[in-house]
This record gives sequence, structure tokens and C-alpha cells, in this order.
Amino acid sequence: MKLRILLADDHEIVRRGLCALLQKHEGWEVCGEASDGREALEMAKQLKPDVVIVDIGMPYLNGLDTTRQLLQHDPHFKVIVLTITDSDQVIREALDAGARGFVLKSDAARDLVSAVEALQSKRMFFTPRVNDLVLAGFLDKGHAISRNEPPNLPTLTVREREVTQLLAEGKSSKEVASLLNLSTKTVETHRSNIMRKLSLHSIRDLVVYAIKNNIIQIQMPPQIQRPTETTVA
Amino acid sequence: MNYPTGLSQRVTKNLMAVRILLVDDHPIVRQGLRTLLEGRSGWEVVGEASDGLEALEKIESLNPDVVVLDVTMPRMNGLEACRMIQQKRKSSGLEVLFVTQHDSPQMMREALDAGARGYVVKSNAARDLLEAVEAVSEHRVFTALARSPQAAN
Repeated sequence: MKLRILLADDHEIVRRGLCALLQKHEGWEVCGEASDGREALEMAKQLKPDVVIVDIGMPYLNGLDTTRQLLQHDPHFKVIVLTITDSDQVIREALDAGARGFVLKSDAARDLVSAVEALQSKRMFFTPRVNDLVLAGFLDKGHAISRNEPPNLPTLTVREREVTQLLAEGKSSKEVASLLNLSTKTVETHRSNIMRKLSLHSIRDLVVYAIKNNIIQIQMPPQIQRPTETTVA
Repeated sequence: MNYPTGLSQRVTKNLMAVRILLVDDHPIVRQGLRTLLEGRSGWEVVGEASDGLEALEKIESLNPDVVVLDVTMPRMNGLEACRMIQQKRKSSGLEVLFVTQHDSPQMMREALDAGARGYVVKSNAARDLLEAVEAVSEHRVFTALARSPQAAN
């Protein structure tokens, strides 16, 4: 029986690359593709894949929250997180969310097959940097974070994190309500609670908070420099 | 351009060979771009590069018609590479198409000022890439941000 893999990344071009890489492996099959976290959750529940590969930076529901919710639904899911950064905070959150694999996107062509093979053999797969953190005692008894709880957001509920991401992505309360099948009034209540709990005073504060806590990810453009007159051809 | 007698312009266009160099620091993105482009008859991905400096070297050795270029890359970013490529473009007809995460009118403006002929965002690359490569290979401008409809001249 083939190993069934669900891919979740908001860029179709990345999913195509991942598919091309994974389907070269005899015995593996990409059983579905999702373009955001909510779709990934629904598809995982329907398709019951053996491995789920999630990009951290997806709209509507990011990869870390997708991982948490997947494992809350069924702890037997095996999740590999794909990320553009291996900062301490991202690593910590991925481990705490329950991911069994952690792969940098820039190294996916090199590492992803090994990661899936590891999970197939009931092992975990992490980049060397993550292994160093684990060896340094990151997961020792003193680490007071329980599985599936975001370490830096102890006061936000799962729903509040979902609302935080959507608002930080620029959605209005009405749009958030439509996406989450809630009333606008309920979203407004969540918004007020979020702002109060986190002591935020504006949407701009909320966006900054969401970026700092990996609820949304942004890629900084290179500093735009205009050539001087002397360098123009 | 003169087309052979008896062939429609559309058929001839589809048979026109286009040599493409892919430049992105993520191999998985280059793989995805390749799967899209190689489905088109007559188009050939002649090489890949992972940053602007490597792109300039590969342009010299591979002589592509179109360079598909990311913006944010190590060693030399896409905007710098594009400016350097402009010197070559005048003699060879080489064109640059940016395929980037930056869904920004300002960044697009910078890219076009740097000499690019096309600009599409990665989130819509599967939708826009083929048309964009076709346009720029024919020296037409093609730009498409996710937030606004595509524009091809």
C-alpha cells in the first residue's frame, strides 16, 4: 500500500515542486493538495493521509495552528512543517505544536524525502540546528510547555488565534465572520477580547504582534537602491 | 516577423523555441517552475541558478532568451542582477521576467525600471507564468499583481 501524503502550501508553484519531488519515490502518493490551513484540516479529516506536509506561512490558518488542530483532532497524524526560517521561536512552536518533522523550504529539495522516510519509519526528522536545541536540553523536564499550546500566547483561545490571523491579514470583521461561519457580532467580541488580553490598541499593533509571534509570516524585500548616475550603462 | 506560408500565426508561435534560465534560491520553486514550463512544446529550461551572481555566469554560458528571476536571493538579489543583465540585453534580445513573492506596485515599478519586461507574483505563477513567458519572449510587457488584473501590452 502506498504512503499517502497531503501537501499544504499556499503557492501552487511550490506544491508542484513538492509533488514532482515526492512522486519520484516509488511507493508514495500525493493524495491531496491544500492551499490554506483550513482546507488542509478538512482534507486531512476526509483523506486520512499518512503524512501531512504543511507550510508555516499560509493564509486563513497558518501551519503551526493547522498542526495543533490536526493533532487535537487525531494525535496519530504525522506532520512535517515547512518553513522559511529556523529561528528559536519557530522551532519551539513547531515542536510544541506536535510536528514530527521540521524542514527549511530552502533545503526541501535535499531534506524532504529524508523527512518523509523518517516519519514512514516512525522516526522524527529535524534540521541539524533543531537537533542541537534538543540535545541542549530544550525538551527537558524544566520546559514547562505542554503539547499543542502556543507558548507565547497562553491567554488566547484557538478561535481567538484564528481571528487574530485573519484580522492581521487585513480581513474585515464581516469577512472574518464569513470565513469562520460566525456572526459579525461574535467576531467583534473576539476582536475586543483579543485586544484587551494582549493590551493592543490598534490593528497595526495586532499586525506587529502577529508577525512577532509567527501567526503570519512576511518576507522582507531587498532594500531598494537606485543606481547612481555613474553606474548607469 | 515573417511567418512561413500556409501556417497560422498561432501554430507558429507555439512552435517557437524559447530558451529559459530559472533563477530562484529555492530548488523546490525552480522544480515547480520547470514542471509548468516544460509542458509547453518548443520551450526548454536550459539551466538553473540560485542567486544573481550565478545567473550572470549562466547567461554567458547558456545564452537563454528569457531569464525567470526571483527578487530576494543571497549574494546578489534579482534587481541588481537585472540591472547587470541590461547591458547584455541590448545585443542579444535577452528578456527578464520576475516571479516573486512581492505583491507590491512599488517593487514592480522598481523591477521594470531595472529593465525587466515582466513581473508576476508567485501566488499566481501557475495561472500567469506561461502567458508571461510568451509575452516577454516576444518583447511585450506582461505584469500581473495578485491585487489587480493582469496587464499585457
